[in-house]
Amino acid sequence: MSGNRPLVEISMGIEAFASEWLHCDRISSYLARMVSHNRADSLLYANLLSSALNELLEIAFAHHGPEGNFCCRVSRSGEADVIELDLPCDAATLTFYSEAAQRLKRPDVAELYHSALFSPGSADPHLGLLEVAVDYRARISIVPDNGNRLKLAAEMALEGAAA
Amino acid sequence: MSLDRSYQASFNENNQEFVIAGKLRPRNEAEIRPLAEALDAALGKVRGTFYLNVKRLARLNNVAFRVITNLVSQVCDKRSDLRVEVVTSSVMGWSTRKFLPLASRLPNVSVNEYDQDFYPGQSYLEEGGFIPILRAQTKLTWTHERHVLPRHGLRPGMAMADVCCGIGDFAVLVQKEFSPASIIALDHSRTSLDYARKVAADFGVSNIEYVYGDASEMILEDSQFDFVTCRHSLQVFDKPELILKELYRICKPGGRVYVTNEKNSHCLGEPRADSIQWTYNEVARLWADYKMDIELGPKSRRFLIDAGFEDIKMDSFMVTNLDGDPQGFADIIQSWENVYAGEMARDRGDSPEFVAKFRQGFQDHIYAALHPKGYAGWPIWAASGRKPL
Ligand SMILES: C[S@@+](CC[C@H](N)C(=O)[O-])C[C@H]1O[C@@H](n2cnc3c(N)ncnc32)[C@H](O)[C@@H]1O
Repeated sequence: MSGNRPLVEISMGIEAFASEWLHCDRISSYLARMVSHNRADSLLYANLLSSALNELLEIAFAHHGPEGNFCCRVSRSGEADVIELDLPCDAATLTFYSEAAQRLKRPDVAELYHSALFSPGSADPHLGLLEVAVDYRARISIVPDNGNRLKLAAEMALEGAAA
Repeated sequence: MSLDRSYQASFNENNQEFVIAGKLRPRNEAEIRPLAEALDAALGKVRGTFYLNVKRLARLNNVAFRVITNLVSQVCDKRSDLRVEVVTSSVMGWSTRKFLPLASRLPNVSVNEYDQDFYPGQSYLEEGGFIPILRAQTKLTWTHERHVLPRHGLRPGMAMADVCCGIGDFAVLVQKEFSPASIIALDHSRTSLDYARKVAADFGVSNIEYVYGDASEMILEDSQFDFVTCRHSLQVFDKPELILKELYRICKPGGRVYVTNEKNSHCLGEPRADSIQWTYNEVARLWADYKMDIELGPKSRRFLIDAGFEDIKMDSFMVTNLDGDPQGFADIIQSWENVYAGEMARDRGDSPEFVAKFRQGFQDHIYAALHPKGYAGWPIWAASGRKPL
């Protein structure tokens, strides 16, 4: 996403990232805190950003290619913040994210999200993405890169979103 | 400043309330099985209304959300007699929105953002009407407080919190005169906080962080601050001890908590002393009718001791018309009259005759303040205690 001001970035091998579940929580809490300090209500902002970011990280934790670099970046474009995940990708992962992209485009995405929230059995694997799109009103783009990597970007304006 | 590391859960049978606090981001259901079992057992014991309190749940992922809501759905499907009320807080930002779909799905579930309605006087304090009062007050109290604060332990370089900061002018004054390392200023009025941020920006003050929060359930970590202030605010809560408990919790051991409060019935003036006294006795009654105690000042020693503080220090001072421009004092009184004899008296249903007499006392107090030979006063008690090491 050119034109955005990068605020903070964490980068590591995907294997290292996916070796420990707590990374999702730690990275989302840390990054959210870092980028929120100059928002009007920093604690509230960090809380919201951390919640959205954690959902995306949990998805990347479960769905990624076997090796390569994993990068999570937050940048700012005016009132909005953009979360970008850049991850290695194999054929199965690509299918998973392309299907997600299709569902996110549907006009009934809010209903999809609400029924996924309460679906019986195991959770819809796209649930977190649906939530970020619906509850955080994020504009999500999913772009394959070279056939073996993928860029997922979610742009959201969280200030005042709680009221 | 950071949030709680993990979750806590507890069930209180007496009020049928299950409280989950902290952070819930498990990888799978198995990780939070103890929580699920406790919740299931609690739901099984309850008749009538079950309260699921997530006011202080800072983080929740979908794995945990589904575990909780599945249990609630199962029980609600079987028991149409049961009502479940999910109690959220606007402070967390996400939780009301997250739980609302559960209420749309299940007829016996409701979601209640509790802090919209904590205590009877709240709307008067949080909406615009109070801002002029606070602004007029701090200007004059500061002439006294700047001398009092060092005796209560405020020093440069301290980490400070101002809880119930209102429009934040006190934090700015402290910042300028005492150079603390940092100030976190918390309030539950968005209007006041917006105002506070604007004032700080206008004055180019940058190391005050204005935070929206609930003083009785702060999301600040334990033992962080050297000096915690809470001014003119214990007196607005029907349970001041809950706030003190939180002030105690966020204060470092060895640090001090400083509170100021009034005893409005002791406001005085000459001439026209009797009318003035009558009105301020009525102010005390009016506040009591809204479950607030504007007479709390001299009780602060007891409150601090009961909350576990030691080395209690107490001062009282009288803000008067001689502290500066008498018009400044008169402005405070006028702002009181506007709110107390205005919306608060009206909403209590007071008669026009009562309101007229009530207003007269304020006007007489202003008369005394502006009279060339007059004297008008407003007494305040400042008290502080040390959190034991
Ligand atoms: C009488 S004012 C005092 C404000 C300020 N300390 C001063 O002296 O100017 C009381 C303040 O408490 C705030 N307040 C009320 N309930 C609160 C709560 N639960 N949490 C945080 N602040 C609260 C109100 O919004 C209001 O700003």
